[in-house]
Amino acid sequence: MPGLTENLLLLTPEFALTGLALLVLAVDLFLPESRKGWLALISIVGLLGLAVLSVVMLQGREETLYGGLLAVDRFALVFKVFFLGLGVLIILSSVDFVRKHLSHPGEFYGILLLSILGMNFMAQARELLTAYIALELLSFSLYVLTAYARSNPKSNEAGLKYIIIGAFSSALLLYGLSMVYSSLGTTSFAAIRDALASGAGAGPTLWVGLALLIVGLGFKLAAVPFHMWAPDVYEGASLPVTAYLAIGSKAAAFALVLRLFAEGIVPVVDIWSRWQIIVAVMAAVTMLVGNLVALAQRNLKRLMAYSSIGHVGFLLAGIAALGPGDTLVANGIILYLVGYAVTSIVVFAALIAFFNHTGQEEIADLAGLADRQPFLAAALAIGMFSLSGLPIFAGFTIKFYLFTAVARAGFLWLAALAVFASFISLYYYLQVIRQMYIQPAPGAPPEQSHGHAAEPPPDSNAHGAAPDAASAIPSPGWRLALVLGLGLAGVFWLGVYPAPLVAIIEGASRAILPGG
Amino acid sequence: MELAWLIPVLSFIAFPIIVFWGKRLPGGGAPLAIGAIAAGFALFWVALLGFLAATPDTEHCLTDAATGTLACNFQRAWFNAGLPGLPDSVALSWGMTIDPLALAMLGMVTLVALMVQIYSLGYMKGDPHFGWYYACHALFAAAMLTLVLADSFLLLYVAWELVGACSYLLIGFWHERPAAREAAKKAFIVTRLGDVGLLLGILLLWREVGSFSMTAAFELAHSGEMSHGVATASSLLMLLGAMGKSAQFPFHVWLPDAMEGPTPVSALIHAATMVAAGVYLVARAFPIFQYSGDALMAVAIVGLVTALMASTIALTSTDLKRILAYSTISHLGLMMLSLGAGGYTAALFHLLAHGFSKALLFLGAGSVLHSTEQQDIRHMGGLRKAMPLTALLFSLGAMSLGGIPILAGFWSKDEVLSAVSHGLHPVFIVLALVTALLSALYMARAMFVVFFGPSPESEHHDHPVHDAPLAMAAPMVLLGVLAAGFGLISFNWPGSFGGIGSFLFYHEPEGFHFTWWLGILSTILAVAAFAFGYLVYVRKSLSLEGFRRSFAPAIRVVERKYYVDELYQWVVDRVVMVFSRFIALFDRAVVNDVLVNGPANSARRLGVAMRLHVTGHVYSYALVMALGAAALAILWWWRVA
Repeated sequence: MPGLTENLLLLTPEFALTGLALLVLAVDLFLPESRKGWLALISIVGLLGLAVLSVVMLQGREETLYGGLLAVDRFALVFKVFFLGLGVLIILSSVDFVRKHLSHPGEFYGILLLSILGMNFMAQARELLTAYIALELLSFSLYVLTAYARSNPKSNEAGLKYIIIGAFSSALLLYGLSMVYSSLGTTSFAAIRDALASGAGAGPTLWVGLALLIVGLGFKLAAVPFHMWAPDVYEGASLPVTAYLAIGSKAAAFALVLRLFAEGIVPVVDIWSRWQIIVAVMAAVTMLVGNLVALAQRNLKRLMAYSSIGHVGFLLAGIAALGPGDTLVANGIILYLVGYAVTSIVVFAALIAFFNHTGQEEIADLAGLADRQPFLAAALAIGMFSLSGLPIFAGFTIKFYLFTAVARAGFLWLAALAVFASFISLYYYLQVIRQMYIQPAPGAPPEQSHGHAAEPPPDSNAHGAAPDAASAIPSPGWRLALVLGLGLAGVFWLGVYPAPLVAIIEGASRAILPGG
Repeated sequence: MELAWLIPVLSFIAFPIIVFWGKRLPGGGAPLAIGAIAAGFALFWVALLGFLAATPDTEHCLTDAATGTLACNFQRAWFNAGLPGLPDSVALSWGMTIDPLALAMLGMVTLVALMVQIYSLGYMKGDPHFGWYYACHALFAAAMLTLVLADSFLLLYVAWELVGACSYLLIGFWHERPAAREAAKKAFIVTRLGDVGLLLGILLLWREVGSFSMTAAFELAHSGEMSHGVATASSLLMLLGAMGKSAQFPFHVWLPDAMEGPTPVSALIHAATMVAAGVYLVARAFPIFQYSGDALMAVAIVGLVTALMASTIALTSTDLKRILAYSTISHLGLMMLSLGAGGYTAALFHLLAHGFSKALLFLGAGSVLHSTEQQDIRHMGGLRKAMPLTALLFSLGAMSLGGIPILAGFWSKDEVLSAVSHGLHPVFIVLALVTALLSALYMARAMFVVFFGPSPESEHHDHPVHDAPLAMAAPMVLLGVLAAGFGLISFNWPGSFGGIGSFLFYHEPEGFHFTWWLGILSTILAVAAFAFGYLVYVRKSLSLEGFRRSFAPAIRVVERKYYVDELYQWVVDRVVMVFSRFIALFDRAVVNDVLVNGPANSARRLGVAMRLHVTGHVYSYALVMALGAAALAILWWWRVA
């Protein structure tokens, strides 16, 4: 093992990110209560700087560090930039919320930054223990963030549930990891691949170990039947944290799963071809349960929780369809993660803006939003359309790409099921839109909603100027408006012209699927 | 030339901005919409000059074998599902084709849209939904221009539906009025009937060709490799779509009702641009229609029947806007007839000339309505004195469409007649001449009654009738110049320009041709018709009473619009409603209760069960996880062993 400390420079972004987190925590101690906004600014500037730094430093590098523990490749870089950018958007949309509803902003931002560090390592890990440590770094940060609203009993309960179930799943994961180690004698992805290919160590211990590994990761992904914590935790956590859970932790877990499968298991074709069906069944159950149960939800956060479980089902279908050297499916998964993140950030930013003013989070509370705050309603409607996969929005492109790839890989039934599940999802997404555009605002005179709901803009033009003073909602602050603007631009951009992004993602897929 | 993609995109951008921030923009967002379309008009010239300078050697450009003209194609990948070159990968792209046909439409649409939007500044002043009006206009312009530029049937279809939706919104613009709501609904539903045909036709072509690309489809038809049956079937299906959009018999019923919309909308959408989309579609897909042959004959017959029928109804209608609407239907029929006769250039020339003239007529009618608030010509008369400018311009438009020499409509109608006489059975040219005569008659009637006839004494206007304000007058003057002089571009001018036939042609460049006997005959007919109108409606030296009495039953049939509306109503009541009641029952009992609510209910029950299951019982989650892990391990074992 030549020189463990060789090329440490390649980890500069991670070191700097750690430093940034510590800096925020330290600066917090010296800032008066009225200046806490600086912390968000420092974090955002830092994250943007790090994103640029990562691209400049790591562009075109294909190396491994610490004797194969960490990868510095295109795949890691793409996800790193993705996570850093996501962090910027999440912080931007939290600022108003934190100021209004949470105390100790310094720790909030500091812990958020540390969790991003965990995500970055998850995308880089090429060895199970490293992956586990990165995962725990992310998880512990999320436990704290979930329980952050200390005065809110729901938040406390959610944090408690999350940490208990999380600990349980970590235990299973570690147990599985130790069983894999005991039968194969290694924990690195590449060595697992070689051992599987040679047939050494095959036996019940290995299978049970791998099954437990899947359970632990399935918990992180909130795949059925390991999903039950998700709605409770999503509902209890503060909205920005919910957004972060739904987008960030999920994407990081998929980055890890994708690399683990693509480098460790998929290349062993005869074994993988027998295992695919297991993941496929899990995907099918997940997408069905997530989308069906979402139909019955009344709380927006729980709706988003089940909807995100449904999306995990689609992504798992992609994992099941992975094949050696076939970058198409991997492209589909990564593109889906990006598109889902962009769309979800729009939805969550709109919900945060709504919550900041009203403190409400039930679907029924959105009634008449089109009259009360047309911009928010339109943003939310576009987000919902995109999530349900309608064309010219990102949701269509990513679903079309992923499902086509899945179908091409031989899982036609799974792709068909995914299309069917998407169709179901349209129902509950439209429910939200119906609530905003057709239902009258609470306390609004009844004639405001007569007949022409099919053409929302005239409604908003006609009545938007003089809605009930009590029900009108002021425009979101500039930070949320910026997030919404960027998110909407992204939704349309991905819906109309995703080709450049696909080209970048193609590079990432090639890094983990050699020989494509 | 590549900048042409900006032409629709600018208006697309204007749309959401006006919707969301219209109230805060100066002028309610109207300047933004006008600016977007004006920039589009300027870019049209850029594209035109670029195209004229292009040769087959220019990048992106080639001589299209199927149409024989130079065509420049620009494409951007939308996305590839799959890697380029892989056998199963699906590549979708946004693309545009710039060829003479697209350029001609582009120029007409941007110009008329610009004129109408400026006109609307005056016409719609003070309307409570002013901003929404301009937002719809911007969206319409964007969709219409996309339709014209589309290089694939898929994109064309999307734009096609979008213009339909804009038409729906604008017809129903005054949705407080029940008639407007009904008309909007009728227009939408009737055109949708045709659109189903269009979609099926496109899908049929896609199956045959393997892509939505127009060039590929035309290439296949041109080379004769396309199955003849598919070509006929798909072109007939596309013709259905064209008939719906261009209000051809029997789908014409929506257009007269569509006059419930604001008059500038009628001028733009229901006279010059959107209704011409059907003609454009047939012209665009001409290689397939021509390859089929039978389909072309169907186009000719549909056009002739429509032209004749609509022109007779126009003679009996008493509503100024409906006269113009039936006249539009009739002229669209003439364009279809011309296409059916193989007169590609003539049809498009007439499309342009008619577009300018009819837009002018509608704007003139709008000016009359605006100041008299009266739509029934029986209550009008002698407006020449109160509004001299409108009278002059309206007469110009009416005479142009009536076929009085040297005005635009004369030249284009003559080309159409000439094409019909060369390409079809003699019956067609006889009936086409009858249509031309009727067209001159109803135009003369409208013009003389409204502006030159005696004013009805019973009418007392509460406010003095006034001529159009500047914002409305200026666009009318410009369109008037075009209605008068547009025909001049058909000649072979000395120098490089060899007339429109050398620019806009199918396979063979056409010189200016003038069939003398037809020209003289149609001139005589037109002049006679106008003279007759003058004698009947101004001098009152001739009376139609005797004629009316002896042909009362026939006139009644025409006045009732050949009972087509009644027939529709009967079909809807007796057939569609019965069938749909059955379907509704099926839908409620099977689809809704079992298929939709069933899962939702069981899911809801499941959700309730879960909620009961979860409160406070963290260990139950762990239990489920453990069970899941066990199930997974067993599954794994089973797969491996």
